[in-house]
Amino acid sequence: MSLFSSSISLRKGISITDEEFVQLRDFIYEKSGIFVDQKRKYLFESRFRKRLQELGLNSFGDYHKFLKFDSSRKEEMIRLFEMITTNETSFYRDTKQLEAFTDKVLSPLVADIRKQGKKDLNIWSAGCSSGEEPYTLAILLFELLGMDAARWNIRINANDISMAMINKAREGVYNDYAMKTTPEAIKKKYFINEAGGLRIKPEVAKLVDFRLMNLNDPLALKRIPRSHIVFCRNVIIYFDEDMKKRVINAFYDNLMPGGYLLLGHSESLHKITKAFKPEFHPGTIAYKKE
Amino acid sequence: MRIDELKSGMILSADLKTRDGRMLLPGGLELDDRHIRMLARAGIEEVDVAPPLMELDAEMVRAVEGYVRDFYLYVNPDYAPMLELFRISLDRTAMAVASGWKLPSPETRRAQTVEHLDDLFLKDMGGPEDIVKHETDLASFPDMYFRIREVLDSPNVSADRLAKVVSTDVGLSAKLLKLVNSPFYGFTSSIDSISRAVALVGGQELSSLALGVSTISYFKDIPHELVSMEQFWRHSISCGIFARLLAEQQSGLQAERLFVAGLLHDVGRLIMFKKIPYASREAMLFARENSIPLNEAELEVIGFSHTDVSRYLLESWKFPQGLSSIINHHHDPMTFPDPLGPAIINVADNMANAVGISEGGMYVMPGIAEQAWETLGLDVNFIRDAVTAHDEQIDQIQRAFF
Ligand SMILES: C[S@@+](CC[C@H](N)C(=O)[O-])C[C@H]1O[C@@H](n2cnc3c(N)ncnc32)[C@H](O)[C@@H]1O
Repeated sequence: MSLFSSSISLRKGISITDEEFVQLRDFIYEKSGIFVDQKRKYLFESRFRKRLQELGLNSFGDYHKFLKFDSSRKEEMIRLFEMITTNETSFYRDTKQLEAFTDKVLSPLVADIRKQGKKDLNIWSAGCSSGEEPYTLAILLFELLGMDAARWNIRINANDISMAMINKAREGVYNDYAMKTTPEAIKKKYFINEAGGLRIKPEVAKLVDFRLMNLNDPLALKRIPRSHIVFCRNVIIYFDEDMKKRVINAFYDNLMPGGYLLLGHSESLHKITKAFKPEFHPGTIAYKKE
Repeated sequence: MRIDELKSGMILSADLKTRDGRMLLPGGLELDDRHIRMLARAGIEEVDVAPPLMELDAEMVRAVEGYVRDFYLYVNPDYAPMLELFRISLDRTAMAVASGWKLPSPETRRAQTVEHLDDLFLKDMGGPEDIVKHETDLASFPDMYFRIREVLDSPNVSADRLAKVVSTDVGLSAKLLKLVNSPFYGFTSSIDSISRAVALVGGQELSSLALGVSTISYFKDIPHELVSMEQFWRHSISCGIFARLLAEQQSGLQAERLFVAGLLHDVGRLIMFKKIPYASREAMLFARENSIPLNEAELEVIGFSHTDVSRYLLESWKFPQGLSSIINHHHDPMTFPDPLGPAIINVADNMANAVGISEGGMYVMPGIAEQAWETLGLDVNFIRDAVTAHDEQIDQIQRAFF
């Protein structure tokens, strides 16, 4: 006995041919640098099914044409990027890395800048998702600088290819999942309790500038102000070798001498470049531009 | 449930037989007072009854369908064996929900945080061989199995000598006896000594089982944030049972060996949980958010997978080559020169995943290697029968191990 029709099928929408898959895959790669393996062909079918229905399209080939030629293709690209990205993130993600970063990278750097009689600090959070990462960096700075923070000129440039994520980041309200590894004291100090969740305090939010940006766009990359520190965590894992190299080179060019690049726990520059000098700390590798 | 707690209207969840195998009442039967009196007269003390079922409304049925579909997003939706597994998962999940199981929310399906746990090395700074070396330097494999092998490999092996060796390990003997007395073996009278077990089951087979039992008891101190041991071994035992059922359909295979291969197919993962817990959890998150199987996520996030680890582990433990190869190739069965064994585990793993969805399984179906299924030469209908047979055995076998 079953509650389901005996003819219930697994397939819910039109199928994608191998040719169409390669077409769409290559299109996505060309636009975003995100590379999708052939093994995920069926995932493609389900991810785009709803959208194809909404647009009344009968094949993936038609969708490809729509993306290339339709008068609303610009808006469709925004949707496409939202459909192909995954945005898992949280505050204080990878605590061990952040501790090592604060002690071994950020503190010495701040001391150095002070010695030069300056108070400027630029950080780039590339692939910031819904904002948890750049806000965490802002909080770490407040914790480190204390009262002095107000006299510093700090700018955290945060960007992502997903418009939905940038909007959410600007909104700055978070649920428990986003906070799961955040110390209680930090929650109290830097967030305001609201009906919809915890809102990041304006003085923290002020440090972060959120912009929609595609890491596959060389001109956009060049417009980011030079940074002391680049965070790009859990983003290049979605790219192929070639795109990884391009993006990492852009970070290198963007960094000031003596600046640092930090990657996600499951990423390294092994096989990508030897331009940086790796500094090994418990919990992370900080890549220094000498 | 004890016989004095039975009430009319309860549903028998399995066939009820006497000790000597005579059928008393069929599974699925709704009990009335007459049945209950009859059971009391027959001297039955306990019976398995299904919990009362809740009616599922249309919205609930849709929720179940959506929940189950998520686990099948990665696999070929037009592939008949997969479709059959999908339908089985649907029925079981609906049944579980009707019996009071709540569909887990996306949050609870994520692995817990392991911020306090350290990895042995950072990305690209070490490989599976380092993990295994670290493990085997610290602890040695229980040597009981090798003592058994020695007896078996000696020229004049006798059941008595084998039994003597096994009996020196009380825990092992007790588990082996429970196993051979489970319905899995279908012996009508109970086996109460290891020497009887050797005589009835066979020396080779018993030694395979001893290897499985020894390996399971080896694993302790696995971070509970990453996996519940109970769930891990339940999936493994399921896989073992399906492997055995599939093996029985082939000629020239030692079914026990396939059972043990199924039981141990994921042991590499346990070593990863121990040595690189943070990276393992990142892989779990990555698998979930991208709807890809854990195996593929391991390769992307960590750079190697649990079968790369088991390759080194089982080698250093000097496992029989045949058994190791079956385990190490369960995700790529057709690349192995003798693909039948790995193909069985590949299919069994999918079946175990399919039945595990309604028990809180977390990861999408890994997918059946289509040639692996063809190699087995089975009809799609076999799948449902195997699931029924599996269900009759799983609880008892699990109890034998733990
Ligand atoms: C898994 S999230 C990581 C978020 C955060 N950095 C962290 O580690 O928690 C990856 C993010 O990279 C973004 N992304 C992917 N490809 C991108 C591209 N070509 N340009 C900019 N952002 C991209 C995605 O939209 C997504 O929000």
